[in-house]
Amino acid sequence: MDIDMDMDIPLPEELELLEAESHLYEEPYIDSPPLDPSPPQSPPSRNLEVDGSKRSLDSIAIESPPEENKRIKRIEIEEEEEKEEEEDWLRYSPPQETEVAVAVEKDEEVYLSRYVSAIDGDCMPITAPSGGERVYAKISRAREDEGLKKLNLKDRSNGLIPEPVNVLLQRVDQEAFAKALEASSECQNDIILPETTVVHKQLWVDKYAPSSFTELLSDEQTNREVLLWLKQWDSCVFGSEIRTTSDEVLSALRRHSSTQHKKSFDSDFSRKSRGHTWSNGSYRPVNDMDHGTNNAKGMQDLWNKKSRLTGPPEQKVLLLCGSPGLGKTTLAHVAAQHCGYRVVEVNASDDRSTSTIEAKILDVVQMNSVMADARPKCLVIDEIDGALGDGKGAVEVILKMVSAERKPAFGKENDTKKKGKTASLTRPVICICNDLYAPALRPLRQIAKVHIFVQPTVSRVVSRLKYICNKEGMKTSSIALTALAEFTDCDIRSCLNTLQFLHKKKEALNVMDISSQVIGRKDISKSAFDIWREIFQKRTKRNRKSNTRSGSTYGEFDFLHSLISNRGDYDVILDGIHENILQLQYHDPVMHKTVKCLNSLGISDEIQQYVMRTQKMSLLVYQPSVAVTLHRIVAQVQKPTLEWPKSFQRYRTMLMEKTDILRAWHQKIPPYISRHLSTKSCIEDLISPLLHILSPPNFRPVALHLLSETEKNNLAQLVNVMVSYSITYKNMKFDSLSSGHEALSDASTLSFEPPIGEFIAYKDYISDHHALALAMKQVLLHEVEKQKILQVSTGKSVHRTDGFSKGDQDIAGKGASGAKSARTISAGAGTKNIENVKNITSTGQGNPSTLAVSSSSVSSRSVTAEAKQKSAAGSKKPRNGFDFFERFRKPSSKGSQEPEVAVVKEVTSERDSRPLLFKFNEGFTNAVKRPVRMREFLL
Amino acid sequence: MLWVDKYRPKTLAQVIVHEDIAQNLKKLVNEQDCPHLLFYGPSGSGKKTLIMALLRQIFGPSAEKVKVENRNWKIDAGSRTIDLELTTLTSTNHVELSPGDAGFQDRYIVQEIIKELAKDRPLDTKGKKGFKVLVLNEVDKLSREAQHSLRRTMEKYSAYCRLILCCNSSSKVTEAIRSRCLNIRVNAPSEEQIVKVLEFIGKKEGLQLPSGFAARIAEKSNRNLRRAILSFETCRVQQYPFTSNQAIPPMDWEEYISEIATDIMKEQSPKRLFQVRGKVYELLVNCIPPEIVLKRLLYELLKKLDAELKHEVCHWAAYYEHRMRLGQKAIFHIEAFVAKFMSIYKAFLIATFG
Repeated sequence: MDIDMDMDIPLPEELELLEAESHLYEEPYIDSPPLDPSPPQSPPSRNLEVDGSKRSLDSIAIESPPEENKRIKRIEIEEEEEKEEEEDWLRYSPPQETEVAVAVEKDEEVYLSRYVSAIDGDCMPITAPSGGERVYAKISRAREDEGLKKLNLKDRSNGLIPEPVNVLLQRVDQEAFAKALEASSECQNDIILPETTVVHKQLWVDKYAPSSFTELLSDEQTNREVLLWLKQWDSCVFGSEIRTTSDEVLSALRRHSSTQHKKSFDSDFSRKSRGHTWSNGSYRPVNDMDHGTNNAKGMQDLWNKKSRLTGPPEQKVLLLCGSPGLGKTTLAHVAAQHCGYRVVEVNASDDRSTSTIEAKILDVVQMNSVMADARPKCLVIDEIDGALGDGKGAVEVILKMVSAERKPAFGKENDTKKKGKTASLTRPVICICNDLYAPALRPLRQIAKVHIFVQPTVSRVVSRLKYICNKEGMKTSSIALTALAEFTDCDIRSCLNTLQFLHKKKEALNVMDISSQVIGRKDISKSAFDIWREIFQKRTKRNRKSNTRSGSTYGEFDFLHSLISNRGDYDVILDGIHENILQLQYHDPVMHKTVKCLNSLGISDEIQQYVMRTQKMSLLVYQPSVAVTLHRIVAQVQKPTLEWPKSFQRYRTMLMEKTDILRAWHQKIPPYISRHLSTKSCIEDLISPLLHILSPPNFRPVALHLLSETEKNNLAQLVNVMVSYSITYKNMKFDSLSSGHEALSDASTLSFEPPIGEFIAYKDYISDHHALALAMKQVLLHEVEKQKILQVSTGKSVHRTDGFSKGDQDIAGKGASGAKSARTISAGAGTKNIENVKNITSTGQGNPSTLAVSSSSVSSRSVTAEAKQKSAAGSKKPRNGFDFFERFRKPSSKGSQEPEVAVVKEVTSERDSRPLLFKFNEGFTNAVKRPVRMREFLL
Repeated sequence: MLWVDKYRPKTLAQVIVHEDIAQNLKKLVNEQDCPHLLFYGPSGSGKKTLIMALLRQIFGPSAEKVKVENRNWKIDAGSRTIDLELTTLTSTNHVELSPGDAGFQDRYIVQEIIKELAKDRPLDTKGKKGFKVLVLNEVDKLSREAQHSLRRTMEKYSAYCRLILCCNSSSKVTEAIRSRCLNIRVNAPSEEQIVKVLEFIGKKEGLQLPSGFAARIAEKSNRNLRRAILSFETCRVQQYPFTSNQAIPPMDWEEYISEIATDIMKEQSPKRLFQVRGKVYELLVNCIPPEIVLKRLLYELLKKLDAELKHEVCHWAAYYEHRMRLGQKAIFHIEAFVAKFMSIYKAFLIATFG
C-alpha cells in the first residue's frame, strides 16, 4: 500500500498497467493468431490479419458486420461479441480514447446489409474469404473518422502522439478516403489489401518509441525508481483526492499476482507496438474508478492517512545520466506522462540562460494551463550538461529554488504549494545528462536523486529489434542483430536508424561486415578516467570476446587509438598517464620499461610543444599512438587505482604564485641593488645566504642598551640590509605585539614579508637556518620601521639642506641617497662602520653630507660611543634609538620613563625654541604614545 | 646593504676582477667611439657591474640617478592592439629594460618600444648632440623574431643610440646581432681572483681572515663572485672570529638536490622515482629553473658514481636536457633522466655484484 515501502514488489502503477494489458489479452487475437483466445472468431478477420495490417483489419472489424447472406444474424452476433470486447478494453483507455470509444458506441447502430440498396449513403463491400459471402457496410463519416482515428492512434503507439490531433485527423481522413476510393474501384475483388506505405515516412525510432511504461527498454530497477519518485510528488501536486482513488486501483492491482507481472514484463516486447492506451490511467479517476471496484474500503482509508503524510520526495530533482541512446529522455517522458504530468521539455536547442530557465520553471510550477490539457506540468531539462555556460544557468536556478524550498518548514506543503511561492519547487524536475561528472553539475549532484543508466542487456535489445524488424518485414537473424547491438553498445537509437537505413536500401544486415557496413562507429567520447583505465588495464579474455573487434593486437591498437582520439584531450590524457604510471605494479627489474614509458611521454611533450609553436595541428594525430605504446608496455590485468592529474596543475599555479612574489619583491628593492640581480639569480644565489644573514645565531635578545658595541654594530648592519632589500617582518595578529613579547605562542606570528623563507621550505627538508627569537624579531621590526621613516625624512632633509651644501648635492644622485641614508643609520646607532662606508662610497664623489651632524661625526672619527655622546650633547643628535628601545622594552614602568623623558628634554632643550609639536596618535607600541618632537624622528 | 652591493665597484678604475676588460672599455670611452656592445658570461661574473661602471664612465655620476618607470604601451599590431606593461630604469642618458619579460610578445617590444626609445635623440645642456644608451638585459631570452627585428634598429639609429646587450650565453644570440656588436666575454672569475676580492673586502671590514678560508669559500662558490661574497658574509654572521675549517653554509636548493641524489643511489625502483618526482616538483615550484636542477643533479650523481659510468650518464643528461628544451613539461624529461640513470645504475650493480 505504502509506496515508500514497496520498492521491491512491482509498483501498483505497473500492476495497473499490467492489469490493463491483461484485459487486452482478450483482444490480441486480431494480430497475433497463435495467442488467439477466442476461437469462435469469424474467419474473415483472421484471414485479413494474416495479411499483416492491423490497421485495415481493425477498420474492417468495425465496419465489417454487414453481410449479403442469410447468415447475417450470426455474423451480427459475432460482431456483437467483437464489439463487446472492444468496448471492454476501450473502457480502460485514456481520455482521448474514451471519446473515440463513446463515438464508436454511439454510431454502433451499424448499417449492415446484404444489399447495397438497404444502405443509404456510401457503402463498402466486404467479402468473407471462407464462404464468399458479401455484405455491404455503410460508410458513415463520423464513424469512419472515429474508428480510423482510434486505429491510427493505436498504430503509432497511442500514448505518445507525436503529431497534433488535427493533423492526424486530416491524415486519417485522407487515408480513409483513398481507401474507400480504392475499395469502390475494385469492389469486385475479394480482398482489400491493406496499404502500408504511409508508415515509411516516419523514422522507426519515433514509430516504435515506447509509449508506455512496460515498453521501456531501460533497466527495470531504474524505471521503477523513477516512477516511484514521480509518484511521491502526487500528494502535493494532485492533492489527496485523486490520489486515493488511484490508490484504490493500485492496491487492487497489487493483489495481482506478481508472477504475471514478471512473466509479461520481458515478453512484452513481442506485442509492444500494439496500442495500449492506458498510459494516462492513473491520472484519470473516472477510468480508474470502474476498474478498481474490487477494492477494500479499509485500505482506502489507510491510504488516505498515509498520503497526507507523504510530501514531495526528499530530493526534488531527479538527475538521469547515461550514455546516449539508452532511453533517458524516453523514460522521463513516459514516466511523467504515465503519472499524469504534461511534459515541458527544455533541451540544448532552447535558450538556457538563467533568466529564461527561471521563467520557465516558474511557469511550470505556478501556472496551470487554461487549455484543455490542464494536467500539471513536469519539467524535463534535457542535455543539462551540454553547453557548459548555459547548463550552469539552469543548475543555478534549480539550486536556488531547492535551497529556497528547504528554508520554510517542511510538512505543510499541501497548503503552501498551491499558492506558489516564487522560488520553490513544487513540480518535479527531471534533469538529463550524459556526463554525470561534468563540472557544471557538481552542485546539482549533491542535491539531486541520481540515477545512472546502465546498458540494457543485449538480449532485451535484440528481442526488441527483432520484433520491429518483423513488424517492418525486414529479414534479419538474431546473430546479426546481436552483433549490431553489441557494436553500438546497446544504443537502440543507432540500431534502429541503421536498420531502417538498411531496410530502405533493401539490404540485409550482414554479420560479417557490420563494422564496414553503413553504420559508422559511434562517436563516443569516454571520460578521461575510462581512457586511463583502458590504457593501464589489460583486457581480460572475457572482455575481449565481448568486444568483437579487439581480438587481435591490431584490434586492440585500433580500439585504443580511436578511443583516445575520440576523446581528444591529449594533454590531460598524457598528464594522467604520467601521474599514475609509476604507481602501477609491473615487473620491471632494471627499469627498462619505465625508461621507455617516460621517453614516450617526453616525445609526446615534444610533439605538443612543436604543434603549439608551429600551429601544425595535423601532427596531433601522433599523440594517441604514444599512449598506445604505453599500453603495450605497462598494461596489467589488475585494476589500477587512478588519480586525476593534479600535480602538474598544482605545480603550475604555485610556480606562478611564487614568481609573482619574487617579482613583486624584486620591484620593491631599490633599483641600485635590483638592477644587478635577475630574479633567477635571486633564487639561485641570494636567498639562502640572505636568510642566514638575516637571522644571525649570535644575537642576544636583550635590551638594546645591554648590547656591546659590536653587537649594536651588527644589529645596525642587519637592519640596514633588511631595509635595503625591503624585507621586514609581518605579524599576523597585531595586538599580540603590544601585549607583550614573552608569550611563546606568538613566535609564529612574525614572519618575513615578502615571505622569502618559503622559497627554501622544501618538503621533507630541514634547513639549518637559525630562527630568531620573537623578541629579536620585534626589535628588528621596530628598527626597520624606524629606519624607513628616517629614510623618508632624510630624503626630505636632503632637499632642505640643499642650500647649505650645494657643492655636494649636485653629485648626490638618487642612487647614492640610499648609501647616504645607510650612513646616517649607522651614525645613529653609533657604529664604527661608518668610516668604511664613507670610504667606499665617497671616493670620487666628494663628501656628500646631508646633515651637519653626520659630517661632524665623520670628522671626529672617534670611537662610536664618544661620537654619540658628543653629537648628542653638542648638536642635533638625540639618543633616539636608544630611548625608543628602552621605552619599548619597558612599556609598563612609568617611573623609568619619566626620567628619560627628562633627559631627552634636557639634551634637546636648546632646540626647543622651535615650537612645532607633534602628537602621536598611533604607534607601534604604547610606549610611543606620547608627545614627540619632530626632530626626534629626524635624528 | 649586503657586502655584494657595498663593495661593488662603481667605476672602471675600481674594478678588481676583470681589470683588462675595464681598461679596454675605458679606452673605448676615451676615444669617443663606442660601438654596440654585447656582454656575455655566466651569472655572477660581473657583467652588470661592468656595464654600470661603463655608463658612469661615459655619462658621469648622473648615470646613477635612475628612476623606475612602469609604463604601459599600446601597440598597434595590424588588426589588434596589444597592451604591454614594461618596467624600465631610466636616467637622463640611458634606458635599461628586459625585453624578455614580455614572453612571446617580445617582438613588439623590440619593434615598437625599443625603436621608440632609440628614435628621440638626446640633447645635452650645452646643445651639443650626445648619444643615448639602451641596455637590454637577458637578450638570450628573446625570441628569434625579436632578435631579427633588433638588427635593423641597431643599424638605423646607430648615429646617436648605442645598445648594450647583456646575456648569459652568446650562442642564443643570432649571428647577425653578434656581428653588429663588439662582443665582450666576461669570464667567471678564477678562484684566485675571488680570493683577492674576498681579501679586499675582509680588509675593508677589518676582519681577520685565516689562511685558506677565502680559498675554501672561492672553491665552494663555483666561480660565482656574487655567491662567494654572499657566503663570505654569511660566514661572518654565523661565527665571527673565523676558523679555517669553519662550515660554509650551503645553498639550500643544492642541499636538497644532493638529498635527491642520495635517494636515487639508495634505491632504484618506480616507487622511488615517484618520490623523486615529488621532490623535483618541490624545487621547480620554488622557481629553481629545471635546467639548473638537471645540471646540479647530474653533478651530484657524478660525485657518487664509478668512473666507467660517468661518460654514459653525462651523455644521457645532455640528451634529456636537449629534449627538455624542445619540450614544455620539464618534469617529464627530468624524470626520464632519473629513470634512465636508475636503469643504468641498477644494471651496473647487477653486473658488478651479481
